[in-house]
Amino acid sequence: MEFQPTIISFLCNWCSYTGADLAGTSRMKYAPNIRIIRIMCSGRVDPTFVLKSFREGADGVLICGCHPGDCHYHEGNYKCLRRFKLLHKYIQQMGIHKDRLRLEWISASEGRQFADLVDNMTERLMELGPSPIKEIMEIA
Amino acid sequence: MEEPRIGVYVCWCGTNIEKVVDVAEVAKAMEKLPNVVLSKNYKYMCSDPGQDLIIKDIKENNLNRIVVSACSPRIHELTFRKTLEKAGLNPYLLQMANIREHVSWVHDDKKAATDKAKSLVAAAVTRVNHHEELQKRTVDINPATLIIGGGIAGLTAALEIADAGKKVFLLEKTNHLGGVVAGIDQSFPYFDSAQQIIQQFIKRIKQHENVEVLLNTKAENITGYVGNFKMPLPMLGIDAELEFGNIIVATGLKPYDPSAIREYGYGYLPNVITSLEFEKMLMSGKIETKDGKTPEDILIIHCVGSRNKNCHEYCSRTCCMTALKFATQLRSALPKANIYQAYADMRSFGKDCEELYLKASQKDIMFLMYDQQKYLPEIRRAPNREKCEMLVEIEEILSGDMVEVPADLVILMTAMEAHEDVKDVARTVGVSLCGNDFFIERHPKLDPVATTTDGVFIAGTCQAPKDIPDSVAQAKAAAARVLSSIDVGQVEIEVTTAFTNEDLCCGCQTCISVCPYKAIGFNEENRVSVVNEILCKGCGTCSSACPTGAIRTRHFTDKQIMSQIEGMLSMTKRKSKKTELEV
Repeated sequence: MEFQPTIISFLCNWCSYTGADLAGTSRMKYAPNIRIIRIMCSGRVDPTFVLKSFREGADGVLICGCHPGDCHYHEGNYKCLRRFKLLHKYIQQMGIHKDRLRLEWISASEGRQFADLVDNMTERLMELGPSPIKEIMEIA
Repeated sequence: MEEPRIGVYVCWCGTNIEKVVDVAEVAKAMEKLPNVVLSKNYKYMCSDPGQDLIIKDIKENNLNRIVVSACSPRIHELTFRKTLEKAGLNPYLLQMANIREHVSWVHDDKKAATDKAKSLVAAAVTRVNHHEELQKRTVDINPATLIIGGGIAGLTAALEIADAGKKVFLLEKTNHLGGVVAGIDQSFPYFDSAQQIIQQFIKRIKQHENVEVLLNTKAENITGYVGNFKMPLPMLGIDAELEFGNIIVATGLKPYDPSAIREYGYGYLPNVITSLEFEKMLMSGKIETKDGKTPEDILIIHCVGSRNKNCHEYCSRTCCMTALKFATQLRSALPKANIYQAYADMRSFGKDCEELYLKASQKDIMFLMYDQQKYLPEIRRAPNREKCEMLVEIEEILSGDMVEVPADLVILMTAMEAHEDVKDVARTVGVSLCGNDFFIERHPKLDPVATTTDGVFIAGTCQAPKDIPDSVAQAKAAAARVLSSIDVGQVEIEVTTAFTNEDLCCGCQTCISVCPYKAIGFNEENRVSVVNEILCKGCGTCSSACPTGAIRTRHFTDKQIMSQIEGMLSMTKRKSKKTELEV
């Protein structure tokens, strides 16, 4: 059977989660590999959430927030960006491919962009195959 | 805390979820999860019988945690929180799993959709185990209201609230009230004077003791939350500020600039004018070309900037009717003129609008249909200008013929679009915009004048293109929402704020440096951070920055989110159990 990756995704309530809802109300089809967790702000994404996701068997992690300048909490997305940059280097040192962790900006009106993003990331993860952490953690 | 006893409810949403997700299988899979007492599926969980089912089960089975797996929590989380309250449970002991917007509406493969739904519901179940009772906080509502925009919607809302005896601050960024309606001669479909309506409104507003009009003033730097907003007024002094409890955004529309459409030659052909420029001509009582001649051939072009992928894809809703109004007005002013309408589709919905179409079509007006996606009418100067000023080439799609229409005057029915500065307004009031830069309502059918930000309402054409009656209706609805909130006098506010565990706090003050609301202070004596929960909005950025885990964000704690991750991935098979470590 073809490998099907699992993506854990953290979406901010105000822009990205609403954008994902819009993809739903507009009946835009996308890959069923994503699992969405709603948080109030991308600034709430603790780096340990990402590490935990990989440890539990995620093949990829996607963080989405409001576009720069549009954060509901003024600047949470910038805080997220700063943490992401560090974390992105860190996971590569752990042997996790850089394309397995992405941070993207999705506004409340960008249902199409969200659907395309999920398809695009799923496709890339299918090329990369299962996360190496799963082997270590003995997750099938 | 007592042992969790969880009830799981999987909603069909009629066939919306059920036709893609095997709801029975999802419910059955949840039965095996720890602490799940019962797991059911039902056709409409949000209906009264659906909610009653939850209440009955809570009482009969001593449930103390509820998972509802249905639509987006943005739609029905409040509904189900109230259900829990009715059954005597703390409303925060609920978790929703979104298996409609995020599953059944976006996936076709039943197996994959059902698997995904299982993992989302399992995540909700593991999360709800760690939910805590949260006590609601209420704050007093400041009875004053800020209305942004002095057009017909803003004026209507202001009068409605002021007449009820409440204070209104009416902000207008230009130096005059009236908005777009002030530039309209008569309104469709009854040909009553828009001027009379708007001037009466303005007069009453100016004389009203409860209305304070602030001209040349933009909405900027608004702070606070529902019931207690503030806006500084630096031009009136350093400390001057407005205080108000609710906001109505009624910033209106901007007419589309047609100079971008090459075919129409607007800007260099002097007798090609926009609909609002023609309104001015009607108000002056003189319909004439730039040379002062009475036009013999007049063409009205519909859908200028609307319903076209190069401009705006949406319909501006009022142009067809305004065009029919123009044709009727032209016919009575110039009985001998040749009047042409180049239209794409005639959209005459609304009360007495189809009737106006019928009447206009009996007034010797030539209707020509064109395809606004393919061939726009092309206007050029007539080579011999004795007979007419311009010639317009139209591919008439009903006959299939190329038609050349003479014209001395061309009226472009321009689209409505959002103002350029609407993003600044959106940012200061904390409301999202749709792809066309119109404000997004909380729910298109169930809550059309509220927004996702409590205490902020929208009315008029800043929400979407609409005519005067619709703008007025929406403004009155927004005013009614504000008045009812003032009447209640208090509002429950989100309690999902941050708080510090002083025993864990090391006093590094990282949280203070990341808080966007200056809501965290430092207690010098105990060397710990302290959260001011009135100022905290619960974004949680302090929690993710805290190195010791001392600051927690209520309802979004590390434990709750971690358990959600675990639950989400628990459906994947493990090779052995020995890896069950703790991070």
